[in-house]
Amino acid sequence: MTEQTREMKKKGEDFSVIGKRIPRKEDYRLLTGTAKFLDDMEIPKALHACFVRSPHAHARILSINTEKALSFPGVVTVVTGKELAEWTTSAVMAPPIEGLYPMEMTTLPIDKVRFDGDPVACVVAVDRYIAEDAAELVEVEYEVLPAVTNMFDGMKEEAARVDDQLPTNLVSHQIYEYGNTKEIFAQADHIVEATFSQHRQTHVPMETRGCAAVWDEGRQHLTFYVGTQVPHPLRTSLAGRLGLKETQVNVISPDIGGAFGQKIALYREELTIAALARHLKRPVRWREDRMENLLAASHARQDYVKTRAAVTKDGRVLALEAEIISDFGAYSFFPANYMARVIAMLLPGPYKIQDYAYDVKVVLTNKCPAGPFRAPMAVTSWVTEGTMDAIARELNLDPVHVRQINMLREEDLPYLTATNELYEDITPYETLEKGIAEFGYGEFRKRQEAARKEGRYLGLGICVVVESTTYGSEFYKKAGIPGTGHEAAWVRVEPTGVVNASAGIMGSGQGYETTVAQAVAEGLGVNPEDVSIHLGDTLLAPYGMGSRGARGAVAGAGTAYLAAREAQKKVLQIAAKLLGLDDPQLLKMEGGNIFRRIENEWVQTDLTLVDIAKTAYLNPMELPEGMEPGIEIHKTYDPPPMTYSNAVHLCEVEVDIETGKTEFGRYLIVEDAGNVINPQVVEGQVHGATILGIGGVMLEEVVYDENGQNLTGSLMDYLLPTACEAPTLELVHFNTPNRKTPAGLKGMSEGGVMGAIGAVCNAVNDALSPFGVKVEKQPLSPGYIRSLIRNKEAKNR
Amino acid sequence: MDKVGVQLKVNGETYHVFVEPRKLLSDVLREDVGLTGTHVGCEHGVCGACTVLVNGKPMRSCLLFAVQMEGEEITTIEAIAQDGKYSALQKAFHEEHGLQCGYCTPGIILTFESYLKSNPAPTEEEIRDVLSGNLCRCTGYQNIVKAIQKAINAKGDLNGEEDRQ
Repeated sequence: MTEQTREMKKKGEDFSVIGKRIPRKEDYRLLTGTAKFLDDMEIPKALHACFVRSPHAHARILSINTEKALSFPGVVTVVTGKELAEWTTSAVMAPPIEGLYPMEMTTLPIDKVRFDGDPVACVVAVDRYIAEDAAELVEVEYEVLPAVTNMFDGMKEEAARVDDQLPTNLVSHQIYEYGNTKEIFAQADHIVEATFSQHRQTHVPMETRGCAAVWDEGRQHLTFYVGTQVPHPLRTSLAGRLGLKETQVNVISPDIGGAFGQKIALYREELTIAALARHLKRPVRWREDRMENLLAASHARQDYVKTRAAVTKDGRVLALEAEIISDFGAYSFFPANYMARVIAMLLPGPYKIQDYAYDVKVVLTNKCPAGPFRAPMAVTSWVTEGTMDAIARELNLDPVHVRQINMLREEDLPYLTATNELYEDITPYETLEKGIAEFGYGEFRKRQEAARKEGRYLGLGICVVVESTTYGSEFYKKAGIPGTGHEAAWVRVEPTGVVNASAGIMGSGQGYETTVAQAVAEGLGVNPEDVSIHLGDTLLAPYGMGSRGARGAVAGAGTAYLAAREAQKKVLQIAAKLLGLDDPQLLKMEGGNIFRRIENEWVQTDLTLVDIAKTAYLNPMELPEGMEPGIEIHKTYDPPPMTYSNAVHLCEVEVDIETGKTEFGRYLIVEDAGNVINPQVVEGQVHGATILGIGGVMLEEVVYDENGQNLTGSLMDYLLPTACEAPTLELVHFNTPNRKTPAGLKGMSEGGVMGAIGAVCNAVNDALSPFGVKVEKQPLSPGYIRSLIRNKEAKNR
Repeated sequence: MDKVGVQLKVNGETYHVFVEPRKLLSDVLREDVGLTGTHVGCEHGVCGACTVLVNGKPMRSCLLFAVQMEGEEITTIEAIAQDGKYSALQKAFHEEHGLQCGYCTPGIILTFESYLKSNPAPTEEEIRDVLSGNLCRCTGYQNIVKAIQKAINAKGDLNGEEDRQ
């Protein structure tokens, strides 16, 4: 039974387990080196695979000669796209979305390669060293084609075609208008324009991709081990493309060493390994090396946005227009409009802007395919908040004032945005006020003024974030995107009174074994140490949509909470029978003990969950009439179309004008993620997301040269933030519960990325304001900052 | 490539393995010795996930060949907890939520088990400087620093670990 969203009464203090800082249950194995990540799993007699990859951005495959590789001692087989096309079907991405071209890809390319790192053949050998040696002996003859290395060029008539089946590289184009922007722009006091260029980045989980496939010929059954955020949807895709029934495939996700959105799609390498295991009737495994991960796993974030705001002279925004162009890379692992659309959808942010138009173009290029990366819509907050700052700059107004006069307040909620999104139970205005007060905004401006006199340039950046967290089925239906937003969970009280539970989500560091246990413990009325959460095995876990888009709390823990509540109902009915009472309403369970309400007090009875479980399983004759033995609840739940959290980031920087280097000062985040299950885990997520965002703004960049060669194939080239580049973050929590979700949960973990990008860019612009220059692209490298100042000085000369 | 016999001393025990001379210490520890707590993150010496202690000093096991290690004392993450009990540092990581996915964690724990022995009272800046040799994509480092500081303040416990070999 699927339960629709329902109104929850605002709770908060009456939780006994939700809201507690409980150290994580999963830590022991991770701290002692006994966790099992993919490559730690022993797969007896497994062969090892290595992929041969294209050195060209765009080339026709003329021939592939595998003879030398095949004769290398220890090599078992070498396969190419041709063999795989016989064993597997192509991936077709063709959602019924207007303006979106369908795309299709074979398991490995057959006719041509489309980016530097595209896999063309797979060598299978007795160990990884030999497989890598032999991969170098595979001779591929290419005819090099002109490459599309820039999305703006890609849209031109004369550009080379990335996908020969499409008439253009403009794979997706949508135009929308809400309200009446044209008329408003024609009459506006001012039109403020701003541009925002975000560079290409990649996820870099510390554990690269990998998988292992074991084919059982007798049972005609595949066991597929892979670190995946979405075990069940992956199973459906994998079975489908192998021509197997879902009864013939089990996906098991071991511990995952970080994912960040990179471990959602069924990758071509994974499908190849599964097909090989079935074909060879021998186990096959693959572990990606770091260079492959940087070149060929998944990239993200390469977006260009231009905004135009029609504003009154006192800074009120009357209408907004946005042009969004996104570089999608060479293949479609997700609907091409999927990420760019959410950027457009969220762009009005926390502001009262009902007249809004956007134009979203998504372009194919000869680069690694794009996919969702922790906050797929990450650029949006920078765009909204950068536009607010641009308005303040042009009209010479205070940036906080511009935000305040345009922002939604409590009395405006619930609020239907221009893009038909429903905001409720969010607190952008309150968190902004709190942030300003806590930071000491007025005092900062004085300090900034004084520092400027000494030739030091401080800046304060503000970024207000409205974060879409949990996508319900209605959202998917509205967007035309395949998939749904519901989730499933089961809760079982075992005969000894301990509790096993599962859900369809799969963790990659979020601590679900702790937080879902807390939600179950709360819902059932037991101690979290008596609850054990089992995730990642599709035969064990119920079919759910997995982990993506910050849905772990509302969808995952929320569904488990609802299942636990149902289990509690049954437990209390049994308790009432055993106590000789008619009405279970007068009973409750806490910490596994049954309490009875006598007059106005809760009095503990002798009865515990152990007694009740024993009765349910071993003495069912004692159960209330008509009740089924056992205590096993299976539940599905479909969250609201969208759940929102919000936050404000305030970041202080100092820019060294001589060197262009940016140093971080104070960094304050005021966030409202509703009722939180475990504050310590939430803080960890905010820290991680924010520093990941800062890494992107300051350091990380995937660089392709003009021929489409990826120049950032090692961690010496693709720079991640280290402990020295990560500022210390101060957090203030608001906990405004969502009234529709289970336990008032909202979800979070992507907003930190969004806030960091906006706050840091705005801070640097504030610091640079005396020079009349502003950053319009990232990363904010010293070289870029210096070039802005140098060019301005040259102009002034 | 021909395999050669190598005698390794890992966590106080002697292992005889038969491996190619080109086989990395990280791979030998994981595949031949069977200790998979040493994680491989980049195989080019940048990320620090594969850090082990060689004669008490942190080294990247992906930049060493197992054949180089005869006669050296290697310590891996598996030797840090004793009889199921965390070291002070591990305990602090657990309490302060100093890990998320946990993939980089063994390398960080080993780096600081070693560093804090010779530098029992580092400043935050010094901690961050040493920590910068280990990449973590999940935590933003803040709780890792907090955990290390907590372990430093829980004095006395760290030195107890010297008896483990």
